[in-house]
Amino acid sequence: MSAGYVTVQWNRHKRIYDACVVGGIAVYLGVFFAVGKTLYAAPNAISDEILAMRALGTCAFLLLNIILCIGPAARLDRRCLPLLYNRRHLGVATFLVALAHAVIAIGFYHGFGNVSPFISLLTSNTNYGSLSAFPFQILGVLALLILFLMAATSHDFWLKNLGAPAWKRLHMLVYVAYGLLVMHVALGFLQTQRSPWLAALVGAGVVTVSSLHLIAGLREYRKDGRRTHCSQSSGTHAGETWVDVGSVDDIAEQRGSTVTIGESERIALFRTNGCISATTNVCAHQGGPLGEGKIIDGCITCPWHGWQYRPADGQSPPPFTERIATYRVRVVGRRVEIDPAPLPPGTAVEPARIAEDLK
Amino acid sequence: MAVAILLIFALYAAIGALFGVLFVWRGVSRIDAAANAAPWPFRLLILPGVIALWPMLALRWHRAIRTRGRA
Repeated sequence: MSAGYVTVQWNRHKRIYDACVVGGIAVYLGVFFAVGKTLYAAPNAISDEILAMRALGTCAFLLLNIILCIGPAARLDRRCLPLLYNRRHLGVATFLVALAHAVIAIGFYHGFGNVSPFISLLTSNTNYGSLSAFPFQILGVLALLILFLMAATSHDFWLKNLGAPAWKRLHMLVYVAYGLLVMHVALGFLQTQRSPWLAALVGAGVVTVSSLHLIAGLREYRKDGRRTHCSQSSGTHAGETWVDVGSVDDIAEQRGSTVTIGESERIALFRTNGCISATTNVCAHQGGPLGEGKIIDGCITCPWHGWQYRPADGQSPPPFTERIATYRVRVVGRRVEIDPAPLPPGTAVEPARIAEDLK
Repeated sequence: MAVAILLIFALYAAIGALFGVLFVWRGVSRIDAAANAAPWPFRLLILPGVIALWPMLALRWHRAIRTRGRA
């Protein structure tokens, strides 16, 4: 949240997360090196540079697969949310591992000639028309450039100054990077190694990432469809259209819930201290689903990165200045009704009180 | 062709690096008040992004100066 920038917003959870990431990478590289040395013993020994290149390359690819699985996994199972919390640091770590792989690969394959390694990289293989001899290294370089752009703009400074939609679009390029890397591995390493277990691992990664996205997407689509079907207009009064969105019993105390009215954006409902409030479901930070969060210290707390907003006016508690749109809400009997027209971000709305005998 | 691509890339990065140093020193707090008291490690952390996206930030810095000039 933007009261003033700090270099890295570390807290205990993030330190543990980062320690696990660094430890995990170190263990992977160590095990890969040890197993590689054993498998490729003389007379089939390979150089340490090649082994390091493979260790770093496979590590970066594995990390990218994990990163892409975290999002849909967190949608499908709330227990995965802690993995999402600090995913940006995981992304930066992936870029650094991929960069180390690229530095060794370019140095090893292009660093010993008379021309610059970068010119050699672009000119040594120009068989763009051939699938079997395609210059797969270029695909890796393009993917690395995307990962660099994402790592370089991962600080909240960029989120604020690029704007959330542009920042999100930029970071969606991760799927382009993933596609390029799959091709990089498929056309390069798999062609030269022809290793069935490696082909199976890459295939398993692609299938896992695709399946998780498909399942999570279908679930969200069905959820939206069900909610849209349930909602119905309950009349107009003084220019306000009130829409019945369900029962107060559908929302647990100190928890959120989401509804979709017609084709509109999702709306988040919260129940706290015997009152119902409604805000947009989209967190101002990275578009996290606020309705899947809960009330902590009296504030709506985004399940993704913990950004907070007051339920009554959609404003972050001081000294923070973020604001989200609010909605007029009322409780009629046990039913919750919403005016689906969003109010300007930060607009104060009286929370709807649930009658004492209905709490 | 390869040389031309690399030259354009190097030129873009060199201008970005020069602009980046000036931007993290003076410009960042002009376009974003939240960066006023930001420590130097923060400024160094955003430097690679500034080098990559310098045209956009140059435009924003220019607008900030013009807006301040009018005020």
